[in-house]
Parts: sequence; C-alpha cells; structure tokens
Amino acid sequence: MPEIGTDRWVAEFESRRVRREGPWGRLIEWSSRRWLWLFAGAAIVYPFVIGGDFGIRVGVNALLLAMLAIGLNVVVGYTGLLDLGYVAYYGLGAYGYAFLASDQFGIHLPTPVVVAVVALVVFGVGLVLGQPARRLVGDYLAILTLFFLQVFVELALNLDRLDLPFVDGPVSITGGPNGIAGVDPMEILGFRFGQVRDYYFLLLVLVILLIVGVTNLARSRTGVGWRAIREDTLAAEHMTIPSGRLKVLAYAFGATVAAVSGTVFAAVQLGVFPQNFTVALLIVVYAALVLGGEGSIPGALVGALIIAMVPELLRTPAGARLLFYGGLLVAGLTLVRPRRRLAVIVPGLLLFGLAVRALVAGIWPGLVAAETAGGVDRWLLRFSASADVVVSVLFVVTIAVALAAVAVRRRRVRDALLILGVYLLVLVWENRLVEEPSITRQLLFGALLVVLMVARPHGLLGRPRVEVV
Amino acid sequence: MEFFLQQLVNGLTLGGVYALIALGYSMVYGILKLLNFAHGDVYMVGAFAGYGVLVAFGGPADPRIPVVTLIVLMFLAGMLASGILGVVIERFAYRPLRNAPRIAPLISAVGVSFFLQNAALLVLGARFRSYGTARMVDPATGLQWGPLRISIIRIVVILSAVALMVVLHLLVQRTKLGKAMRATAFDREAAAMMGIDVDRVIVATFLIGSVLAGAAGVMVGLVFSRVYHFMGFVAGLKGFTAAVIGGIGSIPGAMMGGLLIGLAEAFSAGYISSTFQNLIVFGLLIVFLLARPRGLFGVPEPVKV
Amino acid sequence: MGSWVAPEWRWCETMAVLELRGLTKRFGGLLVVDGLDLSVAEGEIVSLIGPNGAGKTTVFNLISGVFTPDGGDILLDGRSIVGLPRHEIARRGVARTFQTLRVFLNMTVAENVIAAEYASGTVGAVRSFLGTPAARAEAERMRAEAERRLAFFGERLVGYRLEQPAYSLSYANRRRLEIARAMATGARLLLLDEPAAGMNPAETQEITRLIGQLRDEAGYTILVIEHDMHVVEGISDRVVALDHGVKIAEGSFDDVATDPAVVEAYLGKGGAATK
Ligand SMILES: Nc1ncnc2c1ncn2[C@@H]1O[C@H](COP(=O)(O)OP(=O)(O)O)[C@@H](O)[C@H]1O
Ligand SMILES: [Mg+2]
Repeated sequence: MPEIGTDRWVAEFESRRVRREGPWGRLIEWSSRRWLWLFAGAAIVYPFVIGGDFGIRVGVNALLLAMLAIGLNVVVGYTGLLDLGYVAYYGLGAYGYAFLASDQFGIHLPTPVVVAVVALVVFGVGLVLGQPARRLVGDYLAILTLFFLQVFVELALNLDRLDLPFVDGPVSITGGPNGIAGVDPMEILGFRFGQVRDYYFLLLVLVILLIVGVTNLARSRTGVGWRAIREDTLAAEHMTIPSGRLKVLAYAFGATVAAVSGTVFAAVQLGVFPQNFTVALLIVVYAALVLGGEGSIPGALVGALIIAMVPELLRTPAGARLLFYGGLLVAGLTLVRPRRRLAVIVPGLLLFGLAVRALVAGIWPGLVAAETAGGVDRWLLRFSASADVVVSVLFVVTIAVALAAVAVRRRRVRDALLILGVYLLVLVWENRLVEEPSITRQLLFGALLVVLMVARPHGLLGRPRVEVV
Repeated sequence: MEFFLQQLVNGLTLGGVYALIALGYSMVYGILKLLNFAHGDVYMVGAFAGYGVLVAFGGPADPRIPVVTLIVLMFLAGMLASGILGVVIERFAYRPLRNAPRIAPLISAVGVSFFLQNAALLVLGARFRSYGTARMVDPATGLQWGPLRISIIRIVVILSAVALMVVLHLLVQRTKLGKAMRATAFDREAAAMMGIDVDRVIVATFLIGSVLAGAAGVMVGLVFSRVYHFMGFVAGLKGFTAAVIGGIGSIPGAMMGGLLIGLAEAFSAGYISSTFQNLIVFGLLIVFLLARPRGLFGVPEPVKV
Repeated sequence: MGSWVAPEWRWCETMAVLELRGLTKRFGGLLVVDGLDLSVAEGEIVSLIGPNGAGKTTVFNLISGVFTPDGGDILLDGRSIVGLPRHEIARRGVARTFQTLRVFLNMTVAENVIAAEYASGTVGAVRSFLGTPAARAEAERMRAEAERRLAFFGERLVGYRLEQPAYSLSYANRRRLEIARAMATGARLLLLDEPAAGMNPAETQEITRLIGQLRDEAGYTILVIEHDMHVVEGISDRVVALDHGVKIAEGSFDDVATDPAVVEAYLGKGGAATK
C-alpha cells in the first residue's frame, strides 16, 4: 500500500513536463509573458510607421474595439453573463458626452468632468438594469438584454420631437435619426485634442490602464468570485460568494467601460448617430472577443486588433489580393497533410486552369473577355460583362465544392475537389469578389467566423474549457 | 368593426408566417440549446427560391403553367431549398461545435447569417423583387362577408400555415421520429444511450424547421410581396421573439407566440402612432420576460444538486 | 417529542452547533424529509446513514439553503438560518461538499480554494482594480492561505498541481479539493456528502483518518453522509439513520447498526441481520 500523501505523479512531474524548446519556442514563451510590453511598444510605433490619417483612424477603431472587448470579457468571459445589450452602454456613453459637450443643450463642461459624470451615471444605470441578472440565467438574460439594446436604439431614433410640459414646441433630445453633430473635441489639462493621433494615444493609455486594472481584478477575490459564478453559481454561493451582487457588479463594470469608450468615440467622431450602436456593432464586439478567446485579456486584445484591422486591407484591390492569396497559401501549407500532397495539388491546379481556359475559349469565345494581360490572366478565365450570371452560378458551385471537399473522406476525391474548389475560388475572386470590396468584406467576415469557430472553438488565445451542461 | 376585422385577418396571416419561423427557432433550441441566428436567412433563401420558380415559368403576368400548379411548385421549391440549406448549415457550421463552449455555435450562426445575406447580395443584387401576386391572381377573388373581404391568396396562406402546423403536431406526437425528437430534447445523452441516433434526429429537426421557414418565405412573398437579401433579419427577429414569448423550446408555444406577435403587429399598426410603436412593443416584451422568463409554455428548470 | 439522545451525549443539548427541529420538505406530493429532529454538538462527528433516496442529501440542501423547508426550523448556534441567502449561511459557518462533485472545473486548484476565501476578504473592487498595496497584500494572503489548506492533504494537491485546472484532477482528488474548499470558507460546521464515494480502499482509509484529523486538529464539527460502513464506524461519535425522510434510529454505531429498523430499511423485510 502506498504511503498516504505521496503521489508518484507529483514526484515524476518535472521530468514529464513539456517545454517549448529552441529559439522559436523561447520567443513564444517570452512573448506570452511580456505581451503587454510588446503590444505597447508596437502600438506606440504604429502611427509613425503607418503615416497618414486613415491608418491612424483604423488604429483608433481598433483600440476602441479592444476596450469594448476587454470590458465585455469581464461580463461574458469571466462572469458568464450573455449580455446582448452591451453596445447600448457604448451608445449611452457617446450620447452622454454629446449632451454635456455640444451645442445640443448648450452645455460645454470640461472633458474630465463629462467623462466622470458619464461613467458614474452609466455605472448606476448598469446597477439597475443589471438586477435581472440575479434571477435570469443563460439565454434568457441574453434575450432580455437584446431587447434593452432595441429599446435604446428606438429611444435614440425617436426622442427628437418630444412635447414636454412647460416647454414651447417639440424638443429634440437625441436628434433622432440625424443624431447630434458638432460635438466638442476633448480637452484635458489645457491640451486640446486636435488630431486623430491625439485620440489614438489617449485610447492607447486607456486600453493599457484597463488591461492592468482588469488583470488586477482577475487576481482579486472579486475576479476569482466572478469566474467561480460562471463555473457553478450554486457551488459559488455555498463558498460564501454573494453571486447576485457580483453579477450585477460585473454587468455594471462592463457597462461603464463601454460608456467611457463611447465618450472617446463621440469626441473623435465629433458627433453621435443612432446607427453607430446597433446589433451590427454588437456582433463585431462579440466576434472580437470570441475570436481571441473569451476569458483571456490578451485574447480580447488580439481579437479586436484582427477584427478591426484585417478587413481594412480589403479596401484596395492590391491589399485584398495580398490577403486572399496569402490566406490561400497559409491554408494550403497548414491544412494539407502530408505536405507532399501539395506536389500533386499545385501542378494539378495549374494544368486544370490552362485546360479549362483553352476549352472555354474554343467552345464559347463570346463568354471570355477579349483582352488579356499578363500574370494570372494567362492562366485564368476572364469573363466578359455579359457573363455575370455565369459568375453568380459559379459562386454557388464554388461553395458547394468547398463544402464537399470538407466532407469527403477519400483522399483522391478530396484532392480532385480541392483542385476544383481552389480553381473556382480564384476564378470567382478575380472575376467578381475583388470588384465588390464591401460585399466581399462582409462575406469573408461571415465565413471567417464560421471557419474559426469550427477550427478553434475556444479562440486563438483562449483555453479550451470543460463544460458540463 | 370592419376595420377591426380586416386587421384581424392581417394579424392572422402575419401570425401564421411568424409562427412558422418561430417553430424553427424553437425546435432547434429545444434540441441543441442553440439560438440559431441564421434561421431568418434560411427563410430569405426560401423566398428567393419561390421567386426563381416564378421567373422560370414566365413570371406572374403570363405564366406558362396553370397558376395553381405554379404556386404549388413555388412552395415546393422554397421548402426544398430552405430544407437543404438548413441541413447543410447544421452539418458544416454547427455539428463540429456540438461540445464546444456555448458561445461558439452562436458566433458560428452569426457568421452563417452574414455569409448568406452577402452571398444573396452578391448573386442577386440589392434590388427588391416582387412576386407580383396581384397580376397572377385577381385580388378581387376571395371571400366576401358583408363588408369584410378576404382575398383568396390570404386564405391559401392561412390554411396552408395551419395545415403545416397540424402536420408538424402529428409528426411530433404520433410518429417514432417525433418521439425520438422529444426524447432528445429532454436529455440528449440519455436518448443516445437508449439507442436513438441523435445525429439523425438533429438533422431531421433542422430539416423540418427549415422547410417550415421556406414555406413562410414563399407565403410572405405571396402576400406582402417584397423579397430582398436582408429580409431575413427583421423576420428572424420577430420569429425569434415569438418563440421566446411562447417559451423557447416549446412547439405549441411557438405557434401561440407567432400568432400573438402577428396580431399585436397588425393591431398596433392600425391603432397606435407609429413613432413609439416599436418602443411600446419592446417595453412590453421586457416586462413580460421579467414576469415570465420562460414564456407562456416554458417550464422552469429545476435546481440540480 | 424531543430527540432521543443517548445518555453519554446528553451534554450536547446545551451547546448544539446545529439543531434541526421538525424539519420537513416535500417535492410535489412526495414527503422527502419528515419532521426530522437532530442536533449536532460542538466538535462532534455525526454520521447520517440510510438507503438511497432516504432524503440525506436533501437534509444537507435544506441546511445549506438550496431549498427552503416546508416546515420546521434550522438553528445555527441557536439562531434560525431558514430563509437566509446561501452565501450568508456559508458565511455564518456552514460549508459543504457535494455528492455529485462540483469543483470549479476550469479554474486552477489554487483558485478553487481562493474563491472560497471570499468572505475573509475586505478589499473592494475599486481598490482591486487600482492594485493598491492593500489589494496586493490581500491577494497574497489568500494565496498563502489556499496553499496552507491544500497542504492538509499532503503532497497530493500542492506543487505544480496548484496551477493545474481542476478538470485534470482525479475523482479522489476532486473530493479532497472540495473539502479544502469547504475548509477555506472559514466554516466551523462541515457537511460532507459521501466523501469516500468512488475511492479505492487505501484512499478510503486515508479519508477516514483525515476526517478524524479535521475534528481533532482543526476543531471542526462534522455532519457526514456515508455509505461505507467501515468509514462510518471509524469516525462517528454518533450515527443517525434515515429512511423515507424519517429518523429511524440514533446512537452509537453499534447500536444503530444492529437496530432492527435499520437492518430492515437496508435489507427489506425479512432480511437477515448480518452484522
Ligand atoms: N430537487 C428535487 N426535486 C424533486 N425530487 C427530489 C429533488 N431532490 C431530491 N428529490 C427526491 O427526494 C428523494 C430523496 O433524495 P436524496 O435526498 O437525494 O436521497 P439520498 O441522498 O438519501 O440518497 C428522492 O426520492 C429524490 O428523487
Ligand atoms: Mg445523496
């Protein structure tokens, strides 16, 4: 009989531990410990490298999204409250700033006062509207908070022709569908924010402070309590954790973070508009959080940066092509196993393209555009404008082939489908997608969400969770 | 009174459509505990499939086949297209996520929804399409009952919605598949241990739910006549709300919820000022949810210790 | 009718930590706990035994506030705790483990125990967010406390295990973790629901010894549900047998184990007494 209290596993543990070896492994270990410094360094350099205003504006959007995602992480990732009304508080913050610092009511308070007032008020609102979180669980809370968001949007849209007692004529509070334009820029300690770059650095400071603060919280009894509630609310209560109070606190904390980022958003945009705070934004914030890995602060940060910045590459055809072919290459290298199968697939793809081109040009010359340039056009079909329908059909076929390639098990068939699928994809891409950047962005965004969730349900940096339902 | 009756008919028509959509939400939720946000877009694809058949047979003004056959074909096409789509979505976007954290399939569903909307936009353009039912069937034909007039197409829609729900009810209550579905909804693991092929049950659920959504799509095309890539969002939201009111996961609940939402919409459009109409509706929903979080027909989950 | 108390335990009545008076609970039409009287004295180990479905776990659920009783009263140090929120009951000194293990699976072993120290903290969320010295000190104190609690189980839950997610623990270690967690709440009364279930004989022996130590060295009062009669025999100062929610016997292990009513409850009518 083994002696009580000893454990072979423990004794042998050190020898079993897997360490990341080599320079690459050491780099990963190092960066996973020093990620905040890495981020701060890169983010400080970014505006100077990127130059122009547009790039910095993208950076501002990325940082705003990062703030939102990190705040949401406390609500969803730690406490497990599915808050689908989250962006309403972002809107509340933005409108709050506009009310207190614009000509809407002729109030122009100093920026720190405005932000403090907005934060406090929204925290209070969060405490009140968070009360249902005590009782409602899971999806029921999600549904309720989704209705909160709808109410907010309706209010923002419709509080513009209000008949109030003792006031002559209809009063506009939110400016209705037109929102409130002409919001004051921020001014802190006599420094007036004139450029986008100023806001960029303000947001950078805010994001870093938020990360440090939330990291502190996560280690405290409050943070540990939040996570215990998500794991098992009943057991947490038996362990002296006041679950109701902590849930409401998490909800209100998230609301406050969203509101503060909302004030900056209003100032940087110099206005607030109801369409800024809809379900579309909600989806983007959730996508950022889940893509990065809910429950993980660096995950939320990375997810936000990816979601905010990558689609911007799709704005120009050159950037879009880079992303598309880069993505294909990476997918090919990581997904095709063993790699020597690429030796069949790549030449097969080239031959297939040439064959199709020769065939189609021979049979239906009318379908193919006359002028062909160099490069990819020597290989690929280029359809004339009248063949729009053909491209549409091919698009649907492409999806079908791609799905079939995922489902089929037989190696040979799969390779053949892969060749066909990639060919069709490039064909549709060059003939249509590249010309419709806005649709392509959304399309890729949707596809990316599905693919990433299927490939890595716990997100890029999240830990796989064990869930007992 | 006449106005009231007219709104009642409107509400019933709308309610039937919403109920059909709500059923898909509720059935899937009942079995997978998944809020299938792509369901509205499945309905949109059904509406377009019906439109495709209509165009293929010569359009509303001058169809090449009898109108009755045409409408039947449109229904079949819509239901078929939506059904296949639903099954494909389940297979590729949800099945790999069966045991993932709860939020992963939710995000996947949102991704599918984005993808479908934009795929439709890419392939079919942003134009609004119309079935042009008025040119296909003379709007004057129908029941005339004193001052109340119900066009034949509305009668068809209401009747077929009711028929579909009756079939569904029989299927769930009387057949072996229905029994398997109820067992799976109650406890998936236990059902699997009892020898029920859970995968097949889930596929069947998606198929049925999507077929109903496809039918709803064609119905909306026939009665309200606007088909476009984004139509699934609003209808999805309403169907979803209907499912919640009825008690998400409950089939009779979804039917009742759909009917209620349809009637509420018809009457509030008729009687309340439009500015605060949505606000009032959402306010009522919030109050309702706080009072009865599990809807009309939902049962509270017991504390498990 | 007051509870029957063996002569040598009569002194308990004056200083009962926990006292149940006519405790009653129904589920639908089913009477699961039926007028149960029980008192547990300071420093005592009382075992609750009875066939499956007798209502033992329900008694724990009533004491710890999962359900509110339909009748009767629950007194902790002479004050009623009926209707208090669960975390408040825990804060007043009642901690429990679960028959169906409920550790916080996706948290580390150390975090599981730190979570249970919530009530001992004084630093609020604002100071924690700002990372004030007080917040840091408290976090460190809680961490050290957690390691101390876990060291109670020898080397099994310390070292690298502190940072392992709880889902990676074996069944027996999860049971130990639950006990460590219950201790960390600062409770004086531990409710242990089948602590030896699913353990091998060696582990069962170990847990028997540990429960004894919990009382002798750490001074806990313990109410324990257990099926393994060796464990019950080894630890109990007093045994209470339950059947269909009714107390059918109470006294020393030997008395209860040979009580005809108990034998009948376990073996059915006409069953042979084996002990
Ligand atoms: N939440 C509940 N709802 C309905 N019945 C319950 C509930 N909890 C326990 N029961 C019933 O109460 C009886 C006693 O259960 P329990 O206290 O768990 O027994 P034991 O722990 O003695 O094995 C059982 O018949 C069980 O089915
Ligand atoms: Mg039990």
